[in-house]
Amino acid sequence: MNNEAPETELFERLAESTDRWEINPAVAPARLKARIYSTLVRRQQESGPLSSLTETKAEGRNLCVFEQVWTLAPVGETMKRLNLCRVCHARLLAEKMEKAPIYWSGCPYADFHRA
Amino acid sequence: MVPPAIQDQPETEDQRLIAAIQCKDRKATAEFVSRHADAIYRYVYARLVPRTDRVDDLVQEVFLAAWENLSEYRGTSSLQSWLMGIARHKVEDYYRAHLREPEPLEATEQGPNFATISPDLDAFLDSERLQKKTWQVLVNLPEKYRLALLWRYWDKCSAKEMAARTGKTEKAIERLLARARDQFRWIWDHE
Repeated sequence: MNNEAPETELFERLAESTDRWEINPAVAPARLKARIYSTLVRRQQESGPLSSLTETKAEGRNLCVFEQVWTLAPVGETMKRLNLCRVCHARLLAEKMEKAPIYWSGCPYADFHRA
Repeated sequence: MVPPAIQDQPETEDQRLIAAIQCKDRKATAEFVSRHADAIYRYVYARLVPRTDRVDDLVQEVFLAAWENLSEYRGTSSLQSWLMGIARHKVEDYYRAHLREPEPLEATEQGPNFATISPDLDAFLDSERLQKKTWQVLVNLPEKYRLALLWRYWDKCSAKEMAARTGKTEKAIERLLARARDQFRWIWDHE
């Protein structure tokens, strides 16, 4: 401990010479975004039903092809609040692979991988 | 459906997004992740580098905490700044938790007493090599020591502040830093 001041200076110099912000990745992994999104939607569902796909569409947000079909199906609004992504293979691929081969328009998982 | 937090008409883009998430619009939730995950990831990564194996978990925790506390977002700052605040807290919680852990056994026994000051930074003309060596040494330090050094020197947090944030005495933090520096130099010299 007798060399504390020069030691502190030495480590300060070392820190200045090795900037942690320089080696930063530009983007978060798509897999991570997919997992975060799935977790958030799951949490939202746990506290009550999701907004229905009809409402989402009315807000001007894009739906994927499966969701589009589901909005046209002769089912009640309750069914349109289901989280279809939960049973979609796009979610599985997106959560496991970094460059998942999913390309549907309106699919959040495909968007994460396209970004 | 009126979201509980934003009773008045949302004014900014951020507030509109928050309102939609609170209405459980899944696409708004996707937009929230898409817009902000990169910045949060970069921040957490930079604070944890060179050991980045916990980055994903911490980033996920930031988003979960944000979602649980959306009602506290008042729109006085940008959503990104608000999220960064949560990320800063999460990283510091992580630092704090590790600094409160007991000392690694081998370190208290080893206690090398260095008469000379190493590492010799001037010997490294190439900053890339210096960086590589530094990260390599930091990676091989016990987590508690690594985080103590990163917090003190790379994040420029004073020993006094570290003591206040961890509930330890300033003396205890200084002792911890001294052991961390000793261990750092030992690995530096023997790698």
